[in-house]
Amino acid sequence: MSSVQNTNSSNISATNASNAKKRKVKKSVTFSDYDTVITPVTNGSHNGRNKSTSSSIEKRPDGSHYPVVVRKSISTVPFHLIPLVYYYMKTYDIYTLFYLTIPTQVFYLLFQFRKNTIFAGKKILKPNWALVIVSLVFAVPLLSCVATIIFILAGAPLLSLSYLKQTFLLSLHCCLLSYPAIYSVFNCDFKVGIFKKYFVAIAFGCWLSCFVIPLDWDREWQNWPIPLVIGGYLGAFVGYAVGAYI
Amino acid sequence: MPNSNQPKTTSTTLNPTTNNKKLKQDILDEQYVRKSMSLSKIPSTRQESEELRFYKHRISRFRITHTKYIILLFFLGLLQFISICFFAKGFLLTRHVIDDVSNLETVLKPPTFDKAVVLIIDALRYDFVVPVEPKQCLYPWQNKFTALYNTDNSFLFKFMADPPTTTLQRLKGLTTGSLPTFIDAGSNFNGEIITEDNLIKQLYLNDKRVLFTGDDTWDALFNPYLLDKSQFFESLNVWDLQTVDRGVMDFFNEYLFQKQKNDEWDVLIGHMLGVDHVGHKHGPNHYEMSNKLQEMNDFVANRLIPSIDENTVLFIMGDHGMDHTGNHGGDSQDELESTLFIYSPNKIFSSSNNAHDNHRQTVTVDQIDLVPTFSHLLGLPIPFNNLGWPIKEVVDVEVANKQTLDQLYTYQNVSKVISNKDVLTKLTQYYKLNDGINYQKLFLKNCKEKWAKFDLVSVGIGIGILAVSLVLIIVITKLIPSIVVGQMCHEFVPSIFLMCIISIVSLNSIFQILQQPSFLDNWVWCTLFALVIGIVVGCCIPIFDRYNLKWMFVKFAEDLNDYWSRVGAVMITLHALCFTSNSFTIWEDRIVAFLLTTVGFLSLYEFTFAPKRASTNALLSASNPEQQTSRKEMEMTTTDINSADVQSNRLNTYNNKLANISHVDSKIHDNNNNDQITISKSDTLPLGKFARIIGAYHSLIIILATRLASTITVCREEQGLQCKPTFVNANNYSWWCLFLCFLLIWFLPNCIKGYYNVSSSYQAAAPIWIGQFLKSALFLNFVYWGIYWYENNVGPIPFDITVWKFTLSRIIVGLSIIALNIGWAMGPTCIKLDIKNTDLKSPQATILGYSNVYGSQFFLLVINFLICLFLFNKPLAQLSLFLMVNQLLSILEIFDLLKLKENLVGPVALGLVSYQNFFTTGHQATIPSIQWDMGFILTEKISFPFTHLGLIMNTFGPFILVSISIALLTLWKQPPGVLKPQTLLARIVSNCGMLLIYNTVLCLSSFAWVTHFRRHLMVWKIFCPRFMFACVCLIITQFVIIFITVGFASGRVIRQVNNIFWK
Repeated sequence: MSSVQNTNSSNISATNASNAKKRKVKKSVTFSDYDTVITPVTNGSHNGRNKSTSSSIEKRPDGSHYPVVVRKSISTVPFHLIPLVYYYMKTYDIYTLFYLTIPTQVFYLLFQFRKNTIFAGKKILKPNWALVIVSLVFAVPLLSCVATIIFILAGAPLLSLSYLKQTFLLSLHCCLLSYPAIYSVFNCDFKVGIFKKYFVAIAFGCWLSCFVIPLDWDREWQNWPIPLVIGGYLGAFVGYAVGAYI
Repeated sequence: MPNSNQPKTTSTTLNPTTNNKKLKQDILDEQYVRKSMSLSKIPSTRQESEELRFYKHRISRFRITHTKYIILLFFLGLLQFISICFFAKGFLLTRHVIDDVSNLETVLKPPTFDKAVVLIIDALRYDFVVPVEPKQCLYPWQNKFTALYNTDNSFLFKFMADPPTTTLQRLKGLTTGSLPTFIDAGSNFNGEIITEDNLIKQLYLNDKRVLFTGDDTWDALFNPYLLDKSQFFESLNVWDLQTVDRGVMDFFNEYLFQKQKNDEWDVLIGHMLGVDHVGHKHGPNHYEMSNKLQEMNDFVANRLIPSIDENTVLFIMGDHGMDHTGNHGGDSQDELESTLFIYSPNKIFSSSNNAHDNHRQTVTVDQIDLVPTFSHLLGLPIPFNNLGWPIKEVVDVEVANKQTLDQLYTYQNVSKVISNKDVLTKLTQYYKLNDGINYQKLFLKNCKEKWAKFDLVSVGIGIGILAVSLVLIIVITKLIPSIVVGQMCHEFVPSIFLMCIISIVSLNSIFQILQQPSFLDNWVWCTLFALVIGIVVGCCIPIFDRYNLKWMFVKFAEDLNDYWSRVGAVMITLHALCFTSNSFTIWEDRIVAFLLTTVGFLSLYEFTFAPKRASTNALLSASNPEQQTSRKEMEMTTTDINSADVQSNRLNTYNNKLANISHVDSKIHDNNNNDQITISKSDTLPLGKFARIIGAYHSLIIILATRLASTITVCREEQGLQCKPTFVNANNYSWWCLFLCFLLIWFLPNCIKGYYNVSSSYQAAAPIWIGQFLKSALFLNFVYWGIYWYENNVGPIPFDITVWKFTLSRIIVGLSIIALNIGWAMGPTCIKLDIKNTDLKSPQATILGYSNVYGSQFFLLVINFLICLFLFNKPLAQLSLFLMVNQLLSILEIFDLLKLKENLVGPVALGLVSYQNFFTTGHQATIPSIQWDMGFILTEKISFPFTHLGLIMNTFGPFILVSISIALLTLWKQPPGVLKPQTLLARIVSNCGMLLIYNTVLCLSSFAWVTHFRRHLMVWKIFCPRFMFACVCLIITQFVIIFITVGFASGRVIRQVNNIFWK
C-alpha cells in the first residue's frame, strides 16, 4: 500500500502545483534517493542523508538541487494526534474527527513542522498562505481520491456503496494526516524523496492495523474502516515524531 | 551435438547461399541457427576438437549431477512424506469398533409393523419440504415438495445429522446409531462392508428380507445382507440427474405398487440421488431443483403414500442437507438439517400432530435416534453400538426407553468407552433411577469427547521429522552455496543410501527382537522411522564434514540480512501465523491476497523511489561481468556489435560469412533505429529510468490482477455476511462469463506474446505453441464450456452429445498432457537468426531471443499444463488463471529487473500467487468446497487415473503451475553462456528449495497449531481441513518439483540450449 500512495500523491501534487505556482527555483519532480540526496563529493559517508547533506549544501552552486532537511527536534512530535485518536476510539465519530483534525493539523504545520523544515541550508521558509489553503482545499481531496483507489486495490471491501463512502472518508483522513508533508513537498521543490517517509509511516500504520479486522471478537472498532483510521493516526504520530531521525 | 559430424558439406552448401543468392528470411529458422552455430564450431584445429571433447565431458558430468540432484530431492521429499504419515496417523482419529451383536432376547415387545418401506432422498434439506406462504416464496425450491407436510397420520421431524455430512458417514450413522470418526470421511470412494452391528444386519439376522434399490454405496456397505434382486446405480456421477431416480421409481413400481411381488420382501429401501446431484451440479437455487422436488412430490404423494398398507410403516428421510452452493460434507447448519418423515395409515399414528392443525411444530431429533426407533417399530434388537434414543412421538415410550437404556448400559459395560470416574458414577446413578434420557445425553456427550483422542507420540514424531526436514532443506538449498551443493550431491547420495540401509536393518532387528521402540506399531512404521534416521544422518555427514553449526547460524543471519530476503521471510511468517487463530484461517483467502498485494506495492515502491539497498547479489553479479552486459539493458542496438560480448566475438572469428552476430535484448527492437543509445554496462542499481517504468508497470499488473481475481470467491460459511459468494453457477454459466472466456482465446496468447516480445523471444517455436496450440486448445475449451453454458441456461440439447463432450475433453487433455509434452521434450527453441545486411562484405546477423533462450523455451512447458488446467476449471476460475499467468510473468520480469533471481522473495511471491489463485479458482480449505463434478470431465464413471487427475488438476492446479514455473526465476531472461549448466541447475534447485521451505513452514505451522487446538470447538471444521490441505499441498509441490521441474524439464532445457550454443 505504502508505495503507491507515495507515487500517486507525488504525481498529483507535481502536476497540481506546477499549474498553480511558478517559483523562481527551477522545479524538477524527483522520487528516488539518488536524485534528491546529494552525496557529498568529499567524503563517502553512506546514504548521505541528513548529516552529510547539510554539509554539502555549499558545494552545489548551480542551485538546482537544494536539499531539504527536517530538523531533529521534540517540537516535530505531533502531540495533538494522541487526544484525537483517543476521542475517535471513544466515539467512532469519523465526521467530528475532521473538524478536530483540520485546524490542529494546520496549526501543527505552521508552528511545528514548517519551523523545523530547513530549506537550502539554514533557511526556514515563511508560511506560504496561498499554498496552505490550496493544498488543504484542493490537494488533499484530490489526493484522497487517489488514496481511495489505492485502498481499493489493496483490498478495501466493495460490498456496497456505504463501504465505498467509508473508504473515501478513510483516505480523506489519511491525506489530512499527510497534509504537512504534502505542503512541504509543494513548498520545497518537489523533493518527494525527503518527505516520503511520512507517507510511508501513515500507510504502514494502516497496513498493520488491517490485522485486527479478521479477528472474530465482534467489537465495534473492528468495523471498516475504524482500525485503519486509528492505525493511520498512530502511524502518522510515530512518523512525524521520528521522521527526522531516519 | 547435432550436425557437428557433417561439417564440410554444410559449409559448402551454405556459403554459396550466403554469397550468391540473397538470403531469404523464411529459411532462417531455428535449424538454421543450429547449423550456423555448429558451423562456427567446426573443429578445424586441434584446439577446437579439444574444446569439443571438453564440452562433451562437461555435459556428461552435468547429466550425472542432475540425476544425483533428483535423488537428493527425492529423499528430502520422502522425509516430509513420512513426517506427514506419522502426524496423520496420530491426529486423524479412529474409533475402536466392537463387533458384538445384540440378540433377540433384548427385545421387550412384539413388533408394531411387519413391513417397512424406507425412501432416502439424498440431501433432502429440511426447508425443502416445509411450505411457506406463496407471497414469501423467494427461492425456486420452496413450496414444491409439500406432500410430507400435508399428509395425515404422519410425523415430520427436523433430522439433525452429525458431521461429517458425507453420504457414507451418514449411512453408517443411520444404521449403526454411532458416530463415525473423521478418518472415515476419506473413504467415501471405497466404503467397506460394515462389520459393526447395524440395522440392516439385524434385519438380516432376524429373517427379514431386505430389498434395496438406488445408490451403490449400499452395495459396498451392506451387500451380504441384501437380497440378490436388489438393484444398484452408480452414485458419484453427479452430472447424471435422472438415472438413479428413474431406476428407483421403476423398481418401486415393480415391487411395491403392482402388488404381485409385495410378498417378496419385508423391508424395501430406496435411495435416490437426484436432489443431491442437482445440488452439486446446479446449486439449490436453480430451476432444476424445483423440477426435481416437484418430481419427488408427485412420486411420494401420488404413488408411494397411497400404496402403504396398515401393516407397513413408511420412512422418508434425507441423509444430510446442502449448503447454499449445493455441496455438503462440513457441519454448517444447512448441511446438518435434514428431514425425517414417518407415515402409516395405521391408527397408531393418528394421534400425530397433523397437517390440518394450523402449523406443524418443528420437532428436532438426532439422526442416530432413528436406529432405536426403527428397531422398536419392527421389533428388532437395537444394534449393539447404538447411542441414539427412541423418538418419543412415534414409539411406545416406556418399553422402548427401557430397551434402549439396557442396550446403552450393556454397551458401556462391554466397551468401557467411559473411564472417567465422575461420569461413571453419574451414569450408574441415572441407570438406577431409570432416567434413560439423561443417561443417553451424558453418554453421548462423553463418547463424542472420547472419540477425539489423539496419539500424541505419533503427532510429536511427525512434527519433529517435519521440523528436521525443514532445517535440512534450508541448509542444503539455501545456506550452502548452490555451486557447492552441486559437488556435494555426489557425497549426499551414497551416504544417504548407506545410512538408510544400515538404519533399516538395525532398527528392524531391534524392533523384532526387543519390541523397542514401543511407539512403533509394526514393521512398516519401523521401516519408515528407520528411513527417516537414515536420510537425516546421511544428509548430516557430508554437511558437517564441511561446515559447522556456528557457520550455519552466521550464514542464516547473513542470508536474512538484505531487505528483500526479509520481506520474503516476513511474508512466510505472516502466512504461517494465520493458523494461530480460527479467524485468520477463515479469512486466509483475503490475507493471502493482501500479502501478495503488499509485495506488489513494495516492488512498486522500489521502482518509483529506487531507494538504495545493499544487495546481496552484488557479489554474484560482480563475479559474472558477462552476465551483466548481456543481461537486460534494453537499449542495446542491433546494428552495433557488442564487442564486449564474448559470445559474438567467437562467432565473428569462426564465421566470416555471417559476420556480425549480436544479441537482441531489446523491447524497442527497431532495426532502423539510428539513435545510438549507450549501453548501460553497469548492472548495479540505480535502475535506468526505462527499467523503472517497466518495473512499475509490472508491479501494477500484479496489484491489479490480484485485486481483480480476489473478487472471485466461494465464501466459507464462517465468513458470513462479510463475504458475498461470486463463484456460483449463476455467474459461472452467465453470458458475460462465457463472453470473457471467448475473449480469452485471443487475450491469453497475446498477453504471453507481449511478455515474449520483451526479449524478442516470440520466434520459431513460440508462435506455433502460443499462437496455434494454445489458441486452438482455448477454443476447444471454450466450445466445451459453451456446451455447459447452453445446457444450464437454455435447456437440454435435443440430441445426445455426451460422447462429443468426452471426445472434446479427451482431445484437450491428450494434447496438453501427452502430445505437447512429448513435443516439448524434443526441444522447441524460441530463437531465430535475423540477417539484415546481405551485401558481401559485412553481412550482419542477429540471434533474436538470445537473451531469453532458456526462459522462453521453459515457459512453453508451463503453457502445456496451463491448457490442461483451463479444461478442469470452471469459466470464472479460467479468468482467474488468465490473471495468474500475467502475475507469474510480471513477477519474473520484476525480479529479473531487481536482480533478485537468487532471493527468497521470488519463490515466496510465486508461492503467494499459487495460494491466492487456489482461493480465486473457487476453492476454500474446506471439504465441501472441493469441486467433485470436475472429476467427471474425462469419464462418466470413476476410473482410476482420470477422475483423480481431474480433481487434482482442479484443486491444486495453481500449485502445480507455480511449482513448474519456479525454475523460471532462474531461467527467465538468462542468456546462454553466462552460467555453467551445473550452476544453472544448482540455482534452479535452490529456488525450488525456497518454494519448498515456504510450503514446509506452512505445513509445520498447521501441524503445530492443529495439535494445539485439538480440543478447539472448530478443530474439525477449520483447523483440520486446513492441515490436510497443507499436507496435500506440500506433497504435490514436492512431487511436481522433483519429477517435473527438476527431473523432466530443467535438465532438458539446459542441455538443449547448451547443445546449440555449445557452452
